[in-house]
Amino acid sequence: MPLKIRLGNGEKGVLKTSDLYFIQKLLRTMRNPKTRFDSREFVEKGEDYLFNYVGKNVGGIDEGRRNFLKGIVIGVAAATVVGIIPGLRVLVPPVEQATGFPKSLLVDVSGNPLKASSIPVNSPIITLYEYPLTGEPNFLLNLGDKSGNPVSIAPVEVSVPQTGKTYKFPGGVGPNNSIVSYSAICQHLGCTPPYIHFYPPNYVGPSQLTAPEPNTLTAQALLAAKQANIPALIHCDCHGSTYDPYGGGAVLTGPTQRPLPAVILEYDSSTDYLYAIGAIGVATYPEGSDGVPSQDPTKDLDTSQYGSSVGSKTQVQASTNPFSGS
Amino acid sequence: MSLTKRVSNWFSERLGLNDLPFFKTPDYMYHVNEWLGALVAASFIYTVISGLILLLYYNAAAGYQSTETIINQVPYGSVVLYSHLYGSYAMIILAYVHMFRNYFVGAYKKPRELLWILGVLMLVLTLGASFLGYSLIGDALAVSAVDVGAGIITSIPQLSFLIPIIFGNYDTGDYTRVLALHIILVALIGLLFVFHFFLAEQYGMMPSRKVKPKAPAVYTKEEWSKFNPWWPRNFVYMSSLIFMTWGFILAIPNALAYLNGLPQYFDPFMNPKPAPPPNSPAAAHITTYPPWFFLFLYKIADFTSDVVIFLMIGVIIPLVYLIILPFIDRSDELHPLKRKVFTGIGILMITYLIQTSLWGDLAPGVEVSIKEQVIAYLIPAIIVALGLTFIKPMDVKTKQVRGISPLTSLLFVVVAMLFAGSVVELIDYPSLFTFAVTLFTGSLFFIGSKTMGKVVLSKGFPNNAVPEVRTTTETPTSNETKRKFAEVLMSILFILVVIIVAQMWTIPPTGYASNLFGVDLGLVFLMLGEVISLYHYVVYKKPVEKEE
Ligand code: FES
Repeated sequence: MPLKIRLGNGEKGVLKTSDLYFIQKLLRTMRNPKTRFDSREFVEKGEDYLFNYVGKNVGGIDEGRRNFLKGIVIGVAAATVVGIIPGLRVLVPPVEQATGFPKSLLVDVSGNPLKASSIPVNSPIITLYEYPLTGEPNFLLNLGDKSGNPVSIAPVEVSVPQTGKTYKFPGGVGPNNSIVSYSAICQHLGCTPPYIHFYPPNYVGPSQLTAPEPNTLTAQALLAAKQANIPALIHCDCHGSTYDPYGGGAVLTGPTQRPLPAVILEYDSSTDYLYAIGAIGVATYPEGSDGVPSQDPTKDLDTSQYGSSVGSKTQVQASTNPFSGS
Repeated sequence: MSLTKRVSNWFSERLGLNDLPFFKTPDYMYHVNEWLGALVAASFIYTVISGLILLLYYNAAAGYQSTETIINQVPYGSVVLYSHLYGSYAMIILAYVHMFRNYFVGAYKKPRELLWILGVLMLVLTLGASFLGYSLIGDALAVSAVDVGAGIITSIPQLSFLIPIIFGNYDTGDYTRVLALHIILVALIGLLFVFHFFLAEQYGMMPSRKVKPKAPAVYTKEEWSKFNPWWPRNFVYMSSLIFMTWGFILAIPNALAYLNGLPQYFDPFMNPKPAPPPNSPAAAHITTYPPWFFLFLYKIADFTSDVVIFLMIGVIIPLVYLIILPFIDRSDELHPLKRKVFTGIGILMITYLIQTSLWGDLAPGVEVSIKEQVIAYLIPAIIVALGLTFIKPMDVKTKQVRGISPLTSLLFVVVAMLFAGSVVELIDYPSLFTFAVTLFTGSLFFIGSKTMGKVVLSKGFPNNAVPEVRTTTETPTSNETKRKFAEVLMSILFILVVIIVAQMWTIPPTGYASNLFGVDLGLVFLMLGEVISLYHYVVYKKPVEKEE
C-alpha cells in the first residue's frame, strides 16, 4: 500500500509500495547481526559506505521486479531461439534436384550464346558442358568425314546390349545436322575426360596403338571402326570401351554394355543458338539399381549424386587437347 | 521455494556453479575495457560454429563453385558464409584492440608474461588462418593473394620447399590442403585459447592502476575472495557482450551484401560477395588486393625489392619485439607515461599499421622511394617522441577530478596523427573516399580536442569550481530513474524482438532476400545482448562501484 500525504486538495505520493518494501528489507538487514550496519564506519566514510552497504546487502531492487525483469530476459532469449529455428534449414542440404530437364542455352566461357556454326568440325579439343546437373559433363561434337566436311547424322535405332532393348537416337542438329552431344561419363565404370574422349579421323590409325594414355587406341577399337565404316570414334582409355559418335553413341567394343546416353539438342536456325532440352538412352552413370540402368533418363534426376540443376544456361568449355602432349 | 528457484538450484549444485575456480571480479570491472578478451573469444566461437556449418558444404576440389553453391543454393548459406567472413574480420580487429590495450596498461608484465606471449602467437595464427580461409573461395582475389604470398616465399630459395607444404595443388584448383591447414590453424588457436584463458583466470583480471600501480599487479587471495563470483553476475555480463558481438558480426555483412559499385579500394573489403573466378574475362577488370589485414605487408613490399629486408621490417622485427617485450621492459611501472619508450613504440606501431594499410589500399603496388619512406615514417615518430617528452604523467589526484585516462590521451595522439595523415592523403589523392576518411578522422580529432581542451583548461585554472565529488552526486534516486528507464527499454526491446522474430519466419531461405534473415538475426542478438546488459544494470549495478 503506497504512503500518501494530503496537501490542500491534492494527494501526493511520498513512497510507493516497492519503496516501502525496500525500506522494510533494509531495516531488517541492518538489524541482522550477520550484516549489521556499522554506524561508526558510516560516520567516517559517509554516504559512500551507505550506498555500498545497500548495494551489497539489500540489492538494488526487490524480488518481484527482479523476477519480472528475468522474465523479460528469458522471453527475449526464447524469442531469439524461435528466430534461429528457421535458420536451422541451413543444415538441410539442397538435395531436391531438377524434377525435369531444364531447357539450357549453351553459352561460351564469357557467357555469350554459342553459335552453332562456329563449332569446329572434328575438333580434337575436348569440348564439354554440364547438363542436366552440375558435375555431369557431356561432349559437344561437330562430326565430319575424313576430309573435315560436316556429316549429316541421321536418326538411328540404338540398342542396349545389357538389356536388349533399343531406343531412337534423334540424329544431329545445327546448320548441317552434324552436331551431336553425348554424356562424357563412360558407361563402363564411370571414367571421365580426359580418359574418355573423341578421336578425330587423323587420330584413328595404327600410330595411336602405341600412343601414351589417355590417347591409346586398342586394336579392337580400330577394327570395330573399320567394320562400322566410321572415320572417328569415342574411346575410353580406362578399360578400352569404344562408342560410335555417328551412331547415337552405340557400343562398338566392350567392356561397356551400355551406349553413351545422348543429350537432345535443339537448334534455333534464326539465331544460330543451341539449347539442351533433354536426354535419351540409359541413365547417366552410375545410376540404376543392381547395375541395370533405367531406360528412363529422368529417373536419374532426383537421385543423382551430382550437383544441382544447371538452370537456363550452361557453359561450354573447350579447354583440354589430349593430343597436344603426344 | 518456487519451481524456477529449485530448478536453478539443482543445476547450480550439480554444476558446482558457486565454487567455479574462475576468478572473482570486483564491481568496478564491469566495463568493456576489461572484457576485450571475451569479445575476441566471442567472435572466435562464432567463426568456428559458422565455419563448421560451411564445412558441411564446402568442396575443396571445386572451391569457387562450391562457394557459389553455398551462396546461391544452400538455405541461408550466404548468411552463414558472409558472417563467417566478418566473424574473422571482427576477431582480427578485436585481437589487435585487446593486444594494444594490454600493451598500454602493461598487462604483459610479471606475472603475465606467458599470457602475453601466447596471445601474440594466437594473433599470428589468426592472421594465418584468415589468410588461408580467404584463399578457399578461389575467386580472382584469393588466387592473386596466394600468388603474392607464394611469390614472397619463393623469392627466398631456401624457403621454396614450403610452397607445396602450404598450398598443395592450389594452382590446379584443388584446395584440400589449404582447407586442412585452415582447420588445423584454427584448432591450434583453440588449443592456445584454452591455455590463455586458464592462465588469465589464474592471475585474475588486472587490477586498476589506482589499486596496484606497480607490477606484479594481482589481487591477493583475501582481496579477491570478497569480489563477485563468476555466477551469476559475470555470466550475465559476459553473455550480454557475447550476444552483442554476434549481433554485429551477423548484421553488418548481411546488410552490406548488396553493396555494389563501390569504388574499387572499398569493394573487395566491405562487400562480402566473392569476386569473379580467376579464369573469367571479368577477372581482368578488377585490381587485385591482398586481404585487408595484409595490406600493410603488401605496401611494405613496395619499399624494397629485397625480400629478406621486407620480411624483417614487415614480420620478423615487430613479431620478435612483441614476443620478447616482457623481457625487455623489466621495470615494474605500469603507467604508460612512466615507460615512455615502450608507449612510444606502441603508438608508432598502431600508427604505422593503419597508415601503411591505408597506403597499400590507395596505392597498391606503387613503388615508394627511400625519401618518401623517410618522410612518411619519420614524421609520426618525431611527433610521438616530442609529445611523450613533454607530457607528464598526471598524478592520481588531478586525474580523479577530470577523469581523463592516459589511455584517452594516447588515443588522442593517434587520432591526431591519423587526421594529419588523412589530410595529406586527401591532397595527394583527392577523391570521395579520402574525403570521407578525412572527415571521419577530422571529427574524431575535433571531439578529442574538445575533451583534451578541458584538461588543458583545468590545468591552467586549477580552481575553476571543478565538482570534486562527482562520483557521489549519483544518488540512489537518480539511479532509480535510470533503472525505471532501463526497465521500460527492456519491455520495448522485448516487443521489438517478437515482431522481428515473427518476420524472420517469412524470409525465403535463398536468393536476394535471404540476407535479410542475417540482418534480422543480428538485430535480435544485439537486442538480446542489450536486454541482458540492461538487466545487469538494473539488478547488479551498485550506486558506487569504487576501484578497490
Ligand atoms: S570406365 Fe571406360 S572403359 Fe572402363
